[in-house]
Order: sequence, then C-alpha cells, then structure tokens
Amino acid sequence: MISKKLIVPLLLLLFTVSNAQDLFLSGYARTYLGALTTGESEYSIIQNTFDLNLEHSRGDVYFKVNPFLYHYSDKDLELGFRQAYMDLYFDSFDLRIGKQQIVWGKADGVFITDIVSPKDMREFLLPEFSEIRVGVTSLKFNYYLGSSAFELVWIPVFTPTQMPDQNSIWGVKPDYPLPYSFNYANTDVKDKLSNSEVFAKYSLLSSAIDFELMAAYSWDDDPAFHSEKILNAASGIVDSIIIKPEHHRLTTLGGSFSTTIGPAVLRGEGAFNNGKHFQSTNPLSAGGTEEKNYFHYLLGVDYNIGDLRLSSQFIQQAIMDYDDFLINDEFENTMTFLASMDFLRETLNVELFTYIGLNDGDALIRPKVTYDFIDGFEIMFGANLFVGDEGQFGRFDKNDMVYTKIKYSF
Amino acid sequence: MKLTKIIMTLLVFAIGITIHAQENLTGQKIIENVYYRETGEDATSELTMTLINSRGDERVREIKQYSKDFGKEEKSIMFFQAPADVRNTSFMNWSYDEEGKDDDQWIYLPALKKVKRISSDSKSDYFMGSDFTYDDLGDRHPSEDTHKLLREEKLNGEDCYVVESIPKEENYMYSKTVVWVSKDKWIGLKKEFYDEDGDHLKNLTVEKYDKIDGFWTILHSVMHNIQKDHRTIMNLKDVKLNTGIDDNMFTERMMKRGI
Repeated sequence: MISKKLIVPLLLLLFTVSNAQDLFLSGYARTYLGALTTGESEYSIIQNTFDLNLEHSRGDVYFKVNPFLYHYSDKDLELGFRQAYMDLYFDSFDLRIGKQQIVWGKADGVFITDIVSPKDMREFLLPEFSEIRVGVTSLKFNYYLGSSAFELVWIPVFTPTQMPDQNSIWGVKPDYPLPYSFNYANTDVKDKLSNSEVFAKYSLLSSAIDFELMAAYSWDDDPAFHSEKILNAASGIVDSIIIKPEHHRLTTLGGSFSTTIGPAVLRGEGAFNNGKHFQSTNPLSAGGTEEKNYFHYLLGVDYNIGDLRLSSQFIQQAIMDYDDFLINDEFENTMTFLASMDFLRETLNVELFTYIGLNDGDALIRPKVTYDFIDGFEIMFGANLFVGDEGQFGRFDKNDMVYTKIKYSF
Repeated sequence: MKLTKIIMTLLVFAIGITIHAQENLTGQKIIENVYYRETGEDATSELTMTLINSRGDERVREIKQYSKDFGKEEKSIMFFQAPADVRNTSFMNWSYDEEGKDDDQWIYLPALKKVKRISSDSKSDYFMGSDFTYDDLGDRHPSEDTHKLLREEKLNGEDCYVVESIPKEENYMYSKTVVWVSKDKWIGLKKEFYDEDGDHLKNLTVEKYDKIDGFWTILHSVMHNIQKDHRTIMNLKDVKLNTGIDDNMFTERMMKRGI
C-alpha cells in the first residue's frame, strides 16, 4: 500500500509515461456498492476502482505494468501494482521477470495446483479472480517443444495469503475455550535465498487431452496456528492461550487434465501435499497442531443444453493418517455448480454460481445479471447468499448481501 | 460473450478461387465446388463485425485471425482486439478431415489467465452475438443437405447458379436456403435463409470482393435478419495468403502471449 502523498506524483508519472510513443493503455474504472440484507442493511462495501494496464513492446521484449487504485468510503486509499513485469521472447523459450500473477490448473474457483500466486482473502472469495490472486515478484522460465511446455518459477521472497482484519465481517475468530492473544514473532518468513519457493510444471495441449504435471517446494500460504497454554502461577491451571501463527514448508506434487467426451468437457485436478500443519485438540500434540499429508482433488464437467452453459465440480480434501483430535474433518467435500446463459445478442448474461459444503450443509449462492449497456460499459446486479450455520460458507451467514457494479472498460 | 467458430470457417466462407464454369452441373456439384475450392495453405486477416440492431445502435467486434492447413487438420487462432472488455481474449480451433471427429477448441480469458478447453459449439449457435451461425460461415458439409439447381440468372451483372438446399436433418434451424453462386468464381454472392416454419428469416448479400494473392476474397458482406431487423456487417481487411505462418502460432503459448 502506498501513502496518499505518493498518489499525485505517481499519477503524474503515469500521465507522462502514457504519452510515451507506442505505449498501449487499457483498463477499467468501476464502482462497487454492496449492502447486507441482514440487520440494518449496512453497506458491506463501497469501493471505487481504477485499474490500468500499460504495455509496450520492442521486438522480442515486452513490458507490462498494471497499477490499481481502490478508494473506499471508510478506509484508506489503496494503491499498488497488481503486476509489473518484463518479457523476453526467444525462439523456444520465454522469460518473465517481475511481479506477476501466475495461474495453474484446470479447476474453476478452487485452488488445488493453483498455488503459485497467493490469494487476497480480505473479502473472502467474492472479488473477481483477477483481483483475488496476488502478484508475486518472481522469475518465470518457459521452454516450448511443439505443444508441450515446461515452466519453472522461482519466487525469491515469500508472500502469504492476505487475511481480513479482525474487525472485518470476513474475519474468522479463533475458536478457543480460553482467553487468547496473538504472538506474531515467528509469523514472517525471513527474506533470504534459502527461503525461496520453486515451482515446476510440464504441460501438454493436444487433441485428445490437455494435462499438467506440477511440483512445488513452497511455503504454506496460510499460517498454522500454533498455541501455547499459559499456566496461572497462582492456581496452577491453564487460564489463557497464546496463538503463534507460523508458516511451514509445503511440498506438493500434482496434476490436472481436461478432455472432451462427446458434447461435454471433463476436467480433473489433484495434488498431494506434504507437510501441512493442521490444528489439533490432542493435549499431547506439540503446539496445538499436527503435521499431516493430504490429498486435494477435483472432478468437473462442463456441458451445454442449448444456449445454457452448465458446469459442476466435486472437490475433496482427504487428510492421511487421520486422528480424531484434528479440527478438520478427515474428508472435506465441496461441490460447485455454474449455470450461465446469454440473451439479447450476448449483451445480457444471467449467471448462477454456487459453492456447496457437503460436510456442513452450507453454501454460497451467487446469482448475478450483467448487461453491456454499450460496448465496454456494463452494469451488474448480484447477490451473495450464505446458507448454513457453520462451515467455510455457513459461518458468514450474517453476511448475505446484494450488490451492484458499474464498470467502464477502455 | 459466447465464442464459437474460427477463422478457418470465416475464411473458407470468404475466399474462393476461379474454377471455370462447367456445363450441366447439378445442384450438388455446384455446392461441392463452393465447399471444396482451394483456399491456400495459410491465411491472415483482420475481421471487423458491426452488429446493428433495429434501432440502429451499433456494436463493433474486431478480431485478428490466422489459419493454416496442416494436411489432415486445419488450425486457426483468433485474437480479440475490441471491445475493450474482451481485448486479449484468444480462441483456438483445430478441425479435422477425419469424418465424425469434432473440432477441438480452447479459449484464453485474460482475467482468468488460463487456457480453457471448451466443447465445440452447436453449429446453430450465433457467432459472437452476430447474425451469422457457424453453419452460415461456411462449415456446413454439402452432404448435410439436398441441393437442387433452380435456375441460372444474373445477379448484379454476374452470371450465377441459383441453388436451393434443403436439410436432411429434421428440426434443423433452417427449412431451406437459396444461394446465388457466381459461375466463374465459385463464391456465394447472395443467400436467403428460411426458418423452420418456411418463413423468410435472413438475407446474406456480398457487397465487395476482390482477387487477393490469386484468390477471390469477399471483403464486405451483410447478413440481415428480416424478422428481427438485425444486421451484421462483416469486413475483412489486410488479408494475406500463403505467407508461411509459423506452426507455433497455433499453440497455448501464443494464446497467452497474444499479438
């Protein structure tokens, strides 16, 4: 985030740069207003966004800078770079250097092998996916051989998931039976070469099937919540807890595929993760967590019925060597469902996207209607409806909202 | 936005070579001559589609397109330039000579930053909200209809065969089409479309064509939906044929990288 004092010089710089020869400018301005449907219908968000892409190429060299600005009615102005990188193109390989969003896998709205760019979860899963993924400063090398590609990513500095503030309606309060406090002494991963992250992927795009194989030696973007019980010296019993968030190394092996079967597209994605620390209630577990391996996989199908586009996915997270002290379920099952249809020569789109938590019977239902008033100018009305009392969606049951977005693209 | 067919389809529709007119041709042979005419090894062009509704409001779609014949398969790739909210979207299609083998299609959406395989759209779907279906764009095989030569007449000074085509498939979106085929160019210069009830639905008229790199090329055509009073104007410019497009143009790498 950049202070307000820097805004004017930055805008002047952008103006100057935008006058540079052959520089291509594109982007959008957007107003986003959301109101809760519960309580006193408070506004959940009032946000104005300006997102700019500046691009320039010279022969086999290309650069792109994507600054963004979020203006809120009740928060500080937020200004940053979603991406800022250079590309160097060679006959059979490319290099991309700088801050970049990297997306892997075949899943929609689910992150299984798509773990290179961390997520901005400050508004849960509600922002556009281009805004959920946080750009990371990295070096990306791609080597191409026909329809095959090998990709290697080196991220020298770890970036964790951006979590909501404790006061945010998206904040999740820890569930401990005793008073607790946080100690962040071990939370930051020190910036040094040995703390780098490395990701590798092989991909093939062919008539019969597209697939990716990936491996990663990274940090878990989400911290493990280690806990320390504090004994009351006088009474000799535990009377409070200190929570110590800490990131751990994670090793991941995975892959994904998509293929066409008749009129449908079948997709799959899976990953084996080694080294995840799960929260445990086992009194013997050190620090309130246990290290377990887990599988995370998905099967999905996309198909059309006339002009109606449908898509469904089943996702399972399965913890290996499970014990009953873990807070997480051994198997956590989720489904997604998408229905989308265009009208009025594809200027009006009606869409329903739903996450369904099968373990807790909770859901996030997201209907929306988008109308392209004129080319590049759209107005959207939608709702985010949380169903259930617990689970990853049900816990936000009080956050049901309706919203509108007006977006001008140029 | 729904994205469907590909360049090759558009160019197959648009490009023809001169074949000398033959006597005593049947309707079937005339349509085959149009369908099987040579189109060159590869093609590049810029397509502008202007969609006009009954109130005269216009929406413009701009596409840069490349296609190449690889022998038993044809590959094509489209890069969307406008409107602004779809810029840098790309779409790739591989189609096959093998009978019964469906096209393979992928789309790259810059907001999602990944290439996604999609199923081949119905040939009755409209292309990008225009008045053209994929079949209208030229991908309908002659064997799918019964063709009958109705008459020979001049159209705008051109000698033409007038051929009626009735689909063999029941419940097809058109009950029949009637096309005016230039006798010496083997391109359709006008086409009438009739809906399932037999009512006149659309008219396609070719308003400008030229010989480019030895191939007759339609540069300006209009599809008019009479019933809804929609129009789609299709303009091709910077058409280049047989330039030796690199095989690597039709890859995931180029879909993401763009042009």
